[in-house]
Amino acid sequence: MHQLTRLTASTLWGSPNGVTTQDHWVRLLWEWSGWFALPIGLLVIGLITYALIRYRHRPGSDRIPAQFQYHIPIEAAYTIIPLVIVVIIFGLMFNAENKADAVAKKPQLSIQVQGFQWGWRFVYPNYHVEVGTADYNNINDNNNLPVLYLPAGETVQLQVVSLDVVHTFYVKEFLFNRDLIPGVNNIFDLTVQQPGLYEGQCNNICGEYHAYMRFQVEVLPPAQYDTWYQNQPYCSTTTAGVSGPPTSPPAGASCPNKPVNGTNPLS
Amino acid sequence: MTILEERPHQPEGHEVSLMEIVPGPRPAGLVKYITSTDHKQIGINYIVTGLVAFLVAGAMALLMRTQLIVPDNHFVTQNVYNELFTIHGTLMLFVFIGPLSFAGFGNYLVPLMIGAPDMAFPRFNNLSYWLYLGGFGMLMAGFLTNNGAAQFGWFGYAPLTEAIRSPGPGGDLWLVGIGLTGFSGIFSAVNIITTIFTLRAPGMVMFRMPIFVWNILVTMFLVLLAFPVLTSAFALLWLDRHLNTNFFNNAKGGQPILWQNMFWFFGHPEEYIIALPAFGIVTEVLASMCRKPVFGYKGMIAATLSIGALSMGVWAHHMYTTGAVLLPFFAAMSLLIAVPTGIKFFNWIGTMWRGTIVLNTALLFSIGFLIQFLFGGITGVILAQPVLDFQLHNTYFVVAHFHYVIMGLVFGVFAGIYYWYPKITGRKMSEGWGKISFLLLLVGFNLTFFPQHDLGLRGMPRRIETYNAGEGWNWLNELSTIGSYITGLGVLASVWNLFHSLRHGEIAGDNPWDAQTLEWACSSPPPDHNFEALPPIRSERPVWDANHPDMLTKVGH
Repeated sequence: MHQLTRLTASTLWGSPNGVTTQDHWVRLLWEWSGWFALPIGLLVIGLITYALIRYRHRPGSDRIPAQFQYHIPIEAAYTIIPLVIVVIIFGLMFNAENKADAVAKKPQLSIQVQGFQWGWRFVYPNYHVEVGTADYNNINDNNNLPVLYLPAGETVQLQVVSLDVVHTFYVKEFLFNRDLIPGVNNIFDLTVQQPGLYEGQCNNICGEYHAYMRFQVEVLPPAQYDTWYQNQPYCSTTTAGVSGPPTSPPAGASCPNKPVNGTNPLS
Repeated sequence: MTILEERPHQPEGHEVSLMEIVPGPRPAGLVKYITSTDHKQIGINYIVTGLVAFLVAGAMALLMRTQLIVPDNHFVTQNVYNELFTIHGTLMLFVFIGPLSFAGFGNYLVPLMIGAPDMAFPRFNNLSYWLYLGGFGMLMAGFLTNNGAAQFGWFGYAPLTEAIRSPGPGGDLWLVGIGLTGFSGIFSAVNIITTIFTLRAPGMVMFRMPIFVWNILVTMFLVLLAFPVLTSAFALLWLDRHLNTNFFNNAKGGQPILWQNMFWFFGHPEEYIIALPAFGIVTEVLASMCRKPVFGYKGMIAATLSIGALSMGVWAHHMYTTGAVLLPFFAAMSLLIAVPTGIKFFNWIGTMWRGTIVLNTALLFSIGFLIQFLFGGITGVILAQPVLDFQLHNTYFVVAHFHYVIMGLVFGVFAGIYYWYPKITGRKMSEGWGKISFLLLLVGFNLTFFPQHDLGLRGMPRRIETYNAGEGWNWLNELSTIGSYITGLGVLASVWNLFHSLRHGEIAGDNPWDAQTLEWACSSPPPDHNFEALPPIRSERPVWDANHPDMLTKVGH
């Protein structure tokens, strides 16, 4: 049985394996929920099936239905036992949530993620911006998506900000969603352990081209990330689908790429 | 209406005395439909209108599933797809399942079950129905406008709903349409609560009311608590759209998150507003078909009351990923609500235990409800945990979860239709067609929504109009779409059955199921003002006591 749980939990059913440190907590809760939910579900279905077969009315039978109505010990049992289970699940969940949701006071790296109808803008500490809108004509086009570059193994703090309507930052391998809501300052920490290219997508209906509001996360080994970062000039902009080096504002002009402070810059 | 004339002959005295009470010509046909203040006619109006909405919204679902059958499909455009899922969700919740259960079945059955001649405010009742029908019309009218119907999803998160982002009358018609159904719901609640508190027959004390009536009572209090908040939110949004106020416009100091709080403060009680009547229906059907009293009657009522109370404090579990709610509190409340729901399940099993279970269509649909709802409940416990919700929020896992819950309720509603159809029309529905319909629905429904759990785990977001072919979502979507067509056939089988049995069904008689509660004491269909005489009400199943004096409820344990 334990083996079976391991087997199912190792892939989290159909979901991809998490690549962040949060994966541990998500997996733990899945396992525990499974341990409680499967037996209870099977018990209930089993009892229903048994009752249906055993107590079904057969034509010609003159069996008299029992007319009992209360059985206090049994009723108390199926009130108290579920209460205890709920308390246990809540305890586990409370602990996991505190760990998974913890935010560092002084993060190593902060990036601001801006969502807009219908694309993404990633602002780095040196005001380098990666920006891109989806290709509205071709959902299968993966080459012109905006890319969020992250270092592997380091805790990155993301601030997610909406420039217009509500969006959601969602990368399935991160096992994580967070909404971008005008007026709500959302910050979370992310430690991706496994380098690779991941697909992300807006996960909250945001208008006509919601389905096309996709992006990619490229997680690089720290050294490679550092090299990449050093090559991005102050206040430069890389636009997805546009080849060539990042563009910079004219010398002397103020930097237009400074992040917005949790408020709507269009106001 | 025609059936009324065809109902089996009553003993002489009965019909004559009725005509003496209400002399003069009686409206019939369309005039009766429009003018009647009879709770039974209004109940039928609600049920028929609700079923029409179910068919319309179901057709929209089939269009959506057709769009998703292959990746990069261009069956409908982005905007049309957005209109479809918005109006699908809105109709299903605000026009079909909610009003059909609490106002349709509620209207028809509550007075009959408590031995009352009509509702407390019959004309007010009529007004409720017409507001509701107007709301339905408004929601559909969106499709006739040049910008199309509303396109922002049934919970319409601001600021996408603001005039600048969603211009055109579609959004306004959506606001007004839901507003009207909201008022209709509030009026029905006032009416039904008053009826239950003031018009019970002698002997019908609160703890002898059928579970269905108890559930409707709690539902109606939830409506009174939740719907005014919804209606206010809609009024504020309307002001934003038309009078340039900024309640939900962050740029001018408003708070979009306020919309989410107001909407879900209504939205989660709404889930129990639609669930509790179906719980009640299933309880009645199980008790009748197992020929037993409801097991743990008082525990069942306590469970209903605690579900009602807890449901007012769980709204923000729709908002875990906003980063703006107190996660542990709402998680605790959401997990707790599983306990009374579990109590109900064991009570249902207890009701079946050692009964003589008649496996007819109504019972099968009730069992279908138990299984689907159980599964929806288990995935609900998973989603109630914020860390897991962070993974699953707004993916198809959520879509699968709430469709298991709500389609479970639809199975409950179908059980109710098969169960009370003989009372309403005087004829039984065809068992053959009923079982075909049940089988198609069970297979089709599970084929549609079970794969969607996996789609969600594989990261498919809800409400996307199309998807990338390389994501690995293709064959699960194909399965789901095929399942939806089978579901459609299952619904059509029951619709055919409804029409066919109206003329050709077996004549039912007063109490075809050997049922227990008071509505089976009058003729089928019941005469105007319902009862000539009532059996003595000495337990919560007076008709059973009168018919089976040798099989009274065993007192003690």
